[in-house]
Amino acid sequence: MFAIIMHHTHGRARWAFFLAPLIMLGEVSCDLQQPTLMSQIIDIGLAHGDGQYVLHHALLMLMFAILGLACGATCGTLGSYASLKMGESLRSEMLQIALSTRDAAGLKPATLITRITNDVTQMQNLVMMVTRGMVRAPMLLLGGIVMSTIVCPNLAPILFVIMPILVIFILIVMRRSLPLYTNMQAAVDRVNRGMRENLQGAKTIKSYVLEDHQFALFKQANLNLQTTSVQAAMATVTLAPVIQLLLNLGVVIALSYGGSLAIHGSISDGQIIAFVNYMIQITTAMIQTANIITAFSRAITSAARVQAVLDEKPSDAMATALRPKASEIQFDHVTFGFDQSTPILNDVSFTVADGHSLGIVGPTGAGKTTLINLLTRSFDDYDGTIRIGGVDIQQLPLEAVHDKVKVALQDAILFAGTIASNLSFGGAASPQALQTAAEMAAATEFIDPLPQQFEAPVEQRGKNFSGGQRQRLNLARAFTNDPDIVVLDDATSAVDQNTNAQIKARLAQARQHQTTVIISQRVTNVIDCDEIIVLEAGKITARGDSDTVYQTSPFYRQLVDTQLGGGRHANE
Amino acid sequence: MQMNRPRRNIHREKVAVGDWQTTVKRLWQYLAASRKNLVIVFFLTLITTAVTIVGTRINGIVIDRYITHHQLQTLLLVCAIMAGVYVIASVAVYFQNSLMITVAQNTSATIRQDVFENLQHQPMRYFDTHDNGDVMSRLTNDVDNINSALMQTFVQLFTGIISIIGMGAAMIWLSPVLFAITLLATVATYLFSRGVARLTQRAFMTQQTALGSLNTQIEESVSGKQVVQLFNHLDATQQNFDVTNRQYTHAAFIAQALSSIIGPFNNMTNNVAYVLITAVGAASILGHVGSITVGVIFTFLIYLRNFTGPINNLLDLINTLQLSLVSAQRVFELIDAPREVDLPDAVAVTHTEGAVAFDHVSFAYEDTRMILHDIDLQATPGAVVALVGPTGAGKTTIMNLLTNLYPLAQGRVLLDDRDVTTIKRANLRHLITVVQQESYLFSLSIRENIRLGRPDAPDVEVEQAAIAANAHTFITQLPDGYDTMLSENASALSIGQRQLLSIARAFVTQAPILVLDEATAAIDSNTEALIHVAMSKLMQGKTSFVIAHRLSTIQAADLILVIDQGRVVERGTHQELLAKNGFYAKLYNAQFDN
Repeated sequence: MFAIIMHHTHGRARWAFFLAPLIMLGEVSCDLQQPTLMSQIIDIGLAHGDGQYVLHHALLMLMFAILGLACGATCGTLGSYASLKMGESLRSEMLQIALSTRDAAGLKPATLITRITNDVTQMQNLVMMVTRGMVRAPMLLLGGIVMSTIVCPNLAPILFVIMPILVIFILIVMRRSLPLYTNMQAAVDRVNRGMRENLQGAKTIKSYVLEDHQFALFKQANLNLQTTSVQAAMATVTLAPVIQLLLNLGVVIALSYGGSLAIHGSISDGQIIAFVNYMIQITTAMIQTANIITAFSRAITSAARVQAVLDEKPSDAMATALRPKASEIQFDHVTFGFDQSTPILNDVSFTVADGHSLGIVGPTGAGKTTLINLLTRSFDDYDGTIRIGGVDIQQLPLEAVHDKVKVALQDAILFAGTIASNLSFGGAASPQALQTAAEMAAATEFIDPLPQQFEAPVEQRGKNFSGGQRQRLNLARAFTNDPDIVVLDDATSAVDQNTNAQIKARLAQARQHQTTVIISQRVTNVIDCDEIIVLEAGKITARGDSDTVYQTSPFYRQLVDTQLGGGRHANE
Repeated sequence: MQMNRPRRNIHREKVAVGDWQTTVKRLWQYLAASRKNLVIVFFLTLITTAVTIVGTRINGIVIDRYITHHQLQTLLLVCAIMAGVYVIASVAVYFQNSLMITVAQNTSATIRQDVFENLQHQPMRYFDTHDNGDVMSRLTNDVDNINSALMQTFVQLFTGIISIIGMGAAMIWLSPVLFAITLLATVATYLFSRGVARLTQRAFMTQQTALGSLNTQIEESVSGKQVVQLFNHLDATQQNFDVTNRQYTHAAFIAQALSSIIGPFNNMTNNVAYVLITAVGAASILGHVGSITVGVIFTFLIYLRNFTGPINNLLDLINTLQLSLVSAQRVFELIDAPREVDLPDAVAVTHTEGAVAFDHVSFAYEDTRMILHDIDLQATPGAVVALVGPTGAGKTTIMNLLTNLYPLAQGRVLLDDRDVTTIKRANLRHLITVVQQESYLFSLSIRENIRLGRPDAPDVEVEQAAIAANAHTFITQLPDGYDTMLSENASALSIGQRQLLSIARAFVTQAPILVLDEATAAIDSNTEALIHVAMSKLMQGKTSFVIAHRLSTIQAADLILVIDQGRVVERGTHQELLAKNGFYAKLYNAQFDN
């Protein structure tokens, strides 16, 4: 955990992190002067009736009080600065990692989000406490012990018995509470997930009147969070009373034993008073330490959860500076699957020559989208080789692959911003480039009437556009800046026939210099491709131009016949 | 036509700083449920505080009387009694803290539950206009703030009040002069804290709002991660985030720096009081004025720590309280958001003939720009009505009105000649099954997802539905078959597979009215052909609405409405519309011309 904190406090924040406790030392030493000075006033000033001495020491006490304020305020500000800067740096790196890791099987969005927000806040709180309290409390504690030993060595053994017992007790409590905090953060994840689903699936919930059903599920998750939180808090609840009891008993012993010593004249009244005062200070400091330890337990859990995100490094080790010139795509005996027995793709080989087009059809779940995911290097653990422009894509930096290949996914995900900011997602684009891309995607017909046109706002996930409009913006995004390779993964499924036909015609023009891969449920979208492959259960079952495939693939024949009517195929 | 709506603004409204009393009152209502526990905590605090007061006084007496007067036996006896009292006090502290944990966690759980419950009943419009990330932030961060405030506040508040009264009384009793000095220091501390608190209130509000938008950005970019990667947009996303991230850090720094002065300042006034009392006490002993003795000063100084200690804690709590009040206000905004309520005289309808009519329906979101104009349609029981038209024409919006998801601008939607707004929403929606283009799948097992619409459906029916929807094969290939748990929105399944599951869901639900909104858009037409027979069976005897772009699926409809720019531009059967050679014919031919 300390490593995380160190790694994420840079420059001024690092200075603040180390400076704050030092300054806190100042405040603490000022505080520690007070009882000593006072006992001197009583023992020396009053005993000798020395008014001058009393005044002098009172002024000293006042000075230390003001100095303490200055130190305390500075320390607090520096502590805030260090902790917030650490949080900022941590969130930034975590988001970067969350966005750049490819493994879809990794951490799910709900837990990722909780970790970046809630868990980082826990660590921030800890740093805050560490810079302020972790020095203040232990220093008051240590100072208290040292001063009391100096002021009253005869009574010091009391402390030397109590303190080790307390330390062992605290360690035991901490060990017991750690796993409980882990449970609690997991419960936080579940509550968050329930809430997220409820927000994202609002329409489905309403349509199926699932309010009560979902509420019952949430209540369970909520109850679980409540129970685990109580358990975790209860594990540390003994700390304060036990500390208080032991130290109060210490005071009693100090009074009885010290009293008997005083009666025999071996120590003074002032010494007992100072000792008891220090004991009270030690009690306060111990309880503060216990509170910090509670926060510590929670932060350790959060630190582990944060670390898990930080450990998800993208594996881009093979990357070189290679950039393929040509735009030929080649799948060479590619086999891929999450478990060995049922491969999602089974020995898939094909080549799309530079500037050519490939159409892919196949039943739902045949592995078409997986094929695209491999091409864009979402997964690297397949057998066989995939090449772009003759270069093995695993030899290419991810960025080079993504620069080369622009994909319009089936799921049209847009981002809050403007139409322009969404279309230029792959890189800065001129107004002209935006216009061209929008025209190709037949999106101008709804962009043009908007008052702000390309500067029109897009809400989160594109909520303010219809499904078909979102898909067209999604398409335009892939077309922007005229990429070398365009992949359309059933990207017009929600677009009407007319619009689809327009898009197809414009695409055909562009296709002359672009390598294109089109996955579609619509025969008309693939019928003109240079080659069509039929993918069924992860295997290529037919390939060739439309006529050939029509002859050899029952699947394709049926597709054509149902969509175009028996007599409408070009061949007949 | 486009559906661009005005930027969301509801949650951005600045909450009037100053309306804290209402917020406190609301919080108190939540705590009232734990009234009994709080009373117990109060009495336990009474014990612990009394012990502190009395114990301290005894310390002084011990020194003044027994040690100074060499009474060893009495000294030991008194000490033994004190030890016993301290044991009782510690037990009391234990129970007091345990109870407070329970109270705080119960309260937060209730608040979370209320937030969730109220969100469940928000109108669709609410979800359109609010950022998920901000709502989530309120549910987690803000409720967390309330929780930690409750844990800390009550004991310290009680201790504070009791100590202040008890110690105050004891101090006056001991030495009115010294007490006057103490009081002066306390008033200074209070005034200062209040001043700072005013400033921090505002700063905390800015901080929590910034945190909300930070969360919104995290939420958005993490969920859209794949696109961010595919378009090499990592750096830009990161830069955007870093700006918001810095804004939050800045806002939080201001808030925390301001509030971090309070503690040290209190500590200082504390120390100043300490000095003054020592000085004044010493002076009066030296000058032989009044009855102050060394024992009195000693006791008074410990009283002082026990008097200003709780006061300082209370003032320190102002921080936590400020933050928690800001948070509470943000949370109460969610709880108070006006619900989608049925009309008072809405009736429970559990049966329908299936006659649906739109009577001159117009619709607009909050702005005045109309999305739908004068929609008129009659569907006789059992009829199949198809809606076709370009994307963004308003087809889905029309169907949203059938289930009363949005209020109409003009006209009426009728079910069996009854205005749907006069039917209880839950009843209405039970009568209509909607299969959306992107139906949501929940993180439940596949089986439970399929029978969501009718949770008591037996397993056999679930499997029959899956077979009919052609989903059975892929389900059984999954490691756990029907018991496979889906992760958030079934991200591991293809969109086509998700659609097959939503169709299976409709099969199980068996409502008398069916709406298929592009329900098969992502399914290949061969698979669609396979489920077509089953779908026809499903539609039998039901009034069905079909939105589809594949004209093959709508040719058989009894009535086809062609929608363009929010208007019905043509209506009739497939043959009639072809004969008309208008908009529909153009759409139809586009399918084959290229």
